[in-house]
Amino acid sequence: MAAHQSYNWMLIVLSYLISVLGSYTALQLAVGIPAAHSSRQRTAAILAAGAAMGVGAIWAMHFIAMLACDMGMPVTYDLARTSLSAVLAFAACSLGLGIAGSGSFNWPKLVAAGVCMGLGVAGMHYLGMTAVLMGAFITYDVSIVALSVLIAIVASIAALWLAFNLRGMAQMVGSALVMGIAVCGMHYTGMAAVNLEDNGSQLPAGYAAGLRGDNLGVSIFAVALVLLVVVLVLNHMRQRRREAITI
Amino acid sequence: MIELEMQVLSDRREGLLVELGRIVVAYGFSLMRQRLSQDSRGTWLTMIVRGPADKQLAMEEALATHSRVLSFEAGVAEGRPAMTPAASAPVPAPVTAPAPAPMPSTQGSGPDIHQVESTLPQLARDYPKIYPWLRNLEHAVPADAREASLHLAGRRTGAWVYKRNYAMGAKLNLPDAIKRIGVPALRELATVDWRDGQLLIQNSPLCSPGSQSGCRFYSGYLEGVLGGSVEPQTVFVRNLFCRSHGAASCILEISH
Repeated sequence: MAAHQSYNWMLIVLSYLISVLGSYTALQLAVGIPAAHSSRQRTAAILAAGAAMGVGAIWAMHFIAMLACDMGMPVTYDLARTSLSAVLAFAACSLGLGIAGSGSFNWPKLVAAGVCMGLGVAGMHYLGMTAVLMGAFITYDVSIVALSVLIAIVASIAALWLAFNLRGMAQMVGSALVMGIAVCGMHYTGMAAVNLEDNGSQLPAGYAAGLRGDNLGVSIFAVALVLLVVVLVLNHMRQRRREAITI
Repeated sequence: MIELEMQVLSDRREGLLVELGRIVVAYGFSLMRQRLSQDSRGTWLTMIVRGPADKQLAMEEALATHSRVLSFEAGVAEGRPAMTPAASAPVPAPVTAPAPAPMPSTQGSGPDIHQVESTLPQLARDYPKIYPWLRNLEHAVPADAREASLHLAGRRTGAWVYKRNYAMGAKLNLPDAIKRIGVPALRELATVDWRDGQLLIQNSPLCSPGSQSGCRFYSGYLEGVLGGSVEPQTVFVRNLFCRSHGAASCILEISH
């Protein structure tokens, strides 16, 4: 028997907003990668951008969206897999942004970076889904899963193209909005692929020790707060540097 | 402040001054004079530069390790006006590529560095409303230094605009850089169109009929604003037609 999913629309909007905020922060850090003066600066920019994208835009969005989804039964999350999903997203995004930010911009590099980012988004999602602990089996519609991965890759490529290739508002805001679509589009398409099969309400091992929604809420709030602080500090620093540039 | 005389040997002449001059400027030095000459070993570039003594070693390191530089020598300049490359008789250095057929050939002296340096802060302060300052500069320098001075002012202004507004992002190929950086940047100063690989400037205030030096500022400006945005950094802007010489619009050609 397939269980029914229902959504809290306010949390869906919030999940998109946090993915846009994370993407904005990440891409603003990422476009500074080509301007790095040393390998140390470059590595720092890549890791910071990867963290903002992986943990902020993708991981935090995923768990807000999971909180938005009522699966008709109580759910907890395995801590180790939840953490691992964040690490996976961080690593894949760092790799993708590092590729996009190195040397001059071209299509092969853009596609490689977009594939890394897209697989990072999808990998985080499906690894995060294995962390779900509840009294039902999760199965997937493979064709919709493939579509979700395709959405993540294509939209990531579009977002990276906007971020690295354009200048001005389209670069700053447009790329973040599109990356938000990549993350949310992948997630909600992936959720549409989910079938919940009744297992006789048998709770899996570790259910009681798993993270609950309120624990996740605190973590997500902390991530959002860090992202906001990074955006404000970054904008302030860039404004000061801009003013300091002499003719 | 310290004044240095530096001599560089390179295998190619094209873009050498632009590339090395950019490094000199990046370390806070000003290019006072330069001379290019050719012999069987390659192209010799001699530069007199002035700048902060504490940046001397770093700048020399950057120049000496540049991929275009085959040999590099530097020493403190002793106030002598003559520059003596190690090779054959020196040839005056054009600041950019030679002008094409429709434009009269221009081969003036170098820029009036002092006048340009004193104008630049005004350009930065009032940007993009800079035409009155450019006209002042045009009249304040000797006639034979006018074009080079406007070109230098343009280069410095363009590089400054690039660093302020367009530096964040990947290096682009030249057509994309022109479309996404060069044209939007120049639109702050003039009405421009990018068509068929040529940049049209309509009703340029600097190129009224009878004036002498209008497009040189725009050429330098585009070289400055595009130089940082493309890979490799060498950009040449040629003035094909100019209103000041009777054309309907000013037309510039941009190439690597």
